[in-house]
Amino acid sequence: MRRWASPVLQGLVLAAAVVLIVLLPRFTSEFRLGQFTYVGIYFIALLGLNILTGYNGQISLGHAAFMAIGGYTAAILILGQKGFELAGHDPAQVIPEHGMRALFTIPIAGLVTGVIGYLFGLPALRLAAVSLALATLAVAVSFPALAKRFEHLTGGGGGLSLPLPHAPFGWDISTPHWLYYEAWVTAAILFVVAWLLVRGRVGRAWRAIRDGEIAAVSSGVSPAVYKTLAFGISAAYAGVAGALFAIQVSYINPDTFPVTLSILLLASVVIGGLSSLSGVIVGALVLEFLPIYAQAPPVLHLNFAKQAGPVVFGFVLMVIVLLVPGGMASLIRRITRPLTAALARKA
Amino acid sequence: MNRALLALAAVLAALAVSIPGAFGRTLETATPTATPGVTSSSITIGGTFPLSGPASLYAPIPRGMEAYFNWINSRKGPDGRKGIRGRQIVWKYYDDGYNPAQTVQLTNKLILEDKIFADVGSLGTEHNQAIRPLLNDRKIPQILVATGASYWGLQHKQYPWTIGWQPDYIAEGRAYGLWITKNAANAKIAVFYQNDDYGKDYLRGLKIGLGAKKSLIVSEQSYEATDTSYASQLARQKASGANTWVLLSIPTPTVRALATAKALNWKPDTIVINSVSAIDSVMAAVASRAGPEYVNGAISSGYLKNNNNPKYSNDPIVRRYQALLAQYGPSGADSKNGFYFYGFAKAYDVVKLLYNAGKNPTRASLIKATQSMNWVNPYMIKGIKVKTSKTDHFPISQLKLARYGNGTFSEFGPLIKGR
Repeated sequence: MRRWASPVLQGLVLAAAVVLIVLLPRFTSEFRLGQFTYVGIYFIALLGLNILTGYNGQISLGHAAFMAIGGYTAAILILGQKGFELAGHDPAQVIPEHGMRALFTIPIAGLVTGVIGYLFGLPALRLAAVSLALATLAVAVSFPALAKRFEHLTGGGGGLSLPLPHAPFGWDISTPHWLYYEAWVTAAILFVVAWLLVRGRVGRAWRAIRDGEIAAVSSGVSPAVYKTLAFGISAAYAGVAGALFAIQVSYINPDTFPVTLSILLLASVVIGGLSSLSGVIVGALVLEFLPIYAQAPPVLHLNFAKQAGPVVFGFVLMVIVLLVPGGMASLIRRITRPLTAALARKA
Repeated sequence: MNRALLALAAVLAALAVSIPGAFGRTLETATPTATPGVTSSSITIGGTFPLSGPASLYAPIPRGMEAYFNWINSRKGPDGRKGIRGRQIVWKYYDDGYNPAQTVQLTNKLILEDKIFADVGSLGTEHNQAIRPLLNDRKIPQILVATGASYWGLQHKQYPWTIGWQPDYIAEGRAYGLWITKNAANAKIAVFYQNDDYGKDYLRGLKIGLGAKKSLIVSEQSYEATDTSYASQLARQKASGANTWVLLSIPTPTVRALATAKALNWKPDTIVINSVSAIDSVMAAVASRAGPEYVNGAISSGYLKNNNNPKYSNDPIVRRYQALLAQYGPSGADSKNGFYFYGFAKAYDVVKLLYNAGKNPTRASLIKATQSMNWVNPYMIKGIKVKTSKTDHFPISQLKLARYGNGTFSEFGPLIKGR
């Protein structure tokens, strides 16, 4: 009996979340809708980072660079050589001549970034936790300079302006709505994929490596295979998020994905709760709303100095980490466990 | 398996219930009965600025503007009413951390939540580029942007709702080229520029100014904004035998480059520093690292009065600026910081434009006003006119050369017409 209550509750929570996400556009302004689109995009990036860091124990401080690769892949495909020339850039020959529908570039961006992430995972195999964090940080730091260097591919420091997004196939739906559903349907699909991965054989292998690599090896789990797989999948998620981000912003340049974004992504995963898929939503909400509202707290109406934003942000981060070291997911679990237990007893 | 099936069933049920409702309505495209951001008692404008992050030294600009608007709101104007024809200016500005993606998000906030009448004075070339399509798509004015790229004026046809302000980088670069051909005809020039639109615009202008004497350039080296050392580039520039050094770099790299060159024992006879970095406080940083004699005599240019220069210590406008900043500015604001002064100068033209947009300002009437600017801004060097027309979209195109000495830039020579 006890085994039944928790899935019922989980199913209900999931269903409630879906209803909320689907109905949200009815109750929010256009601007809020845009913000919740960003939440969906961050949700995807954080899912990927949590697979790597939470479930596999590998720290990445370079996920902004993976997002950037996805974003540039999408932007380049959307524009094509024709779009480059129209914007006054001199395009590289490898770029396809004609632009592509934005929607179709998303899976391609994920695939490209996934392959690059997988390749990056190969040398990363030899690095221990802290060294790996530094190696990924190096990727994040060097990416902007690289992007500026290959001007024929990236438009250089001036970046690439994309056409303003519209719903495809002549669908009668406003642009903000379209972007919102595009992000969240993608997020839902990737959430299910992550869930299936994490609960199955692959997830067990990841966790085994995280908790004790030697023990995992002696049980026949190959760290090389599973660690690089985690890197590849994680990067693919970041790539998809980057593509959605570029489409939403309709502009991309090297400064769009700064090193600080990498750090904030990792911080948000920790806030949401490592190795918890549901906690990721909290991390995504924090990542979107905290930096903006730290500038002008909507409730307090204190007369903050304008540059106090980052300080408030850092302070809130510290408070969360100190009070809820297991992340928001652990807090939610702490609240729902008595409820689950009560339900189980009744059942 | 049970769990998975159950969850799936729940989600499908939820979707079935909620989807018909969700698609039932598209966002009402608010039919504007009145101009957004304008009421009978207020007029709301906004912008984005780097208040934190790598470019936070520009943070005083929006605060200077704020102080000026506060004063306008509290004083009685020529028509005997406070603010702009009785409307109070509401000035909303946000910190984009110099990240264009943030600029886009915050500009959406300004448009959709704060319902601004116009985007005013937003800072950064890439940042303004990122928001230009969405502002033009919605026919929202993007005026007096704080960047000297040339395309604000050149691309008026594609983006009619956008206009720049300060002299553009090409015009300024050209002025240096002209000066060198006249005053140092045998110069061997080394150019050090930032590898982006900003640096390249300057370089293009310099070559236009040099004209047939373009061959005087013996060395061109670029750097990336993210680079932390320029030793190899500068060693090559020293080896080129150049005696005239043109720095087309933003403040922090400029300080570093000058200090590095001094460490390499390279002392060009003439140093030209672009106006973005030719700020007294930046030069003080150089002087403390490389010694004041290294940069004394450096050439730059300007269009605003240098509020630190003794020449202007009794200038009534500079005096008023100091008093107004103390009264209406943020507490502890240092009036010596030229970026507050820049904010005042910018705000002066904003007020003029809002006034000229008419009794019942609309976005179209504001843009119309930007195409017939013709006045003297007292914060600018004497003789400079703010002037535009239906065919000229560069509000400020005159400038004056300046020379560094005694801890400050002093203007010299005649006014130069940039375009």
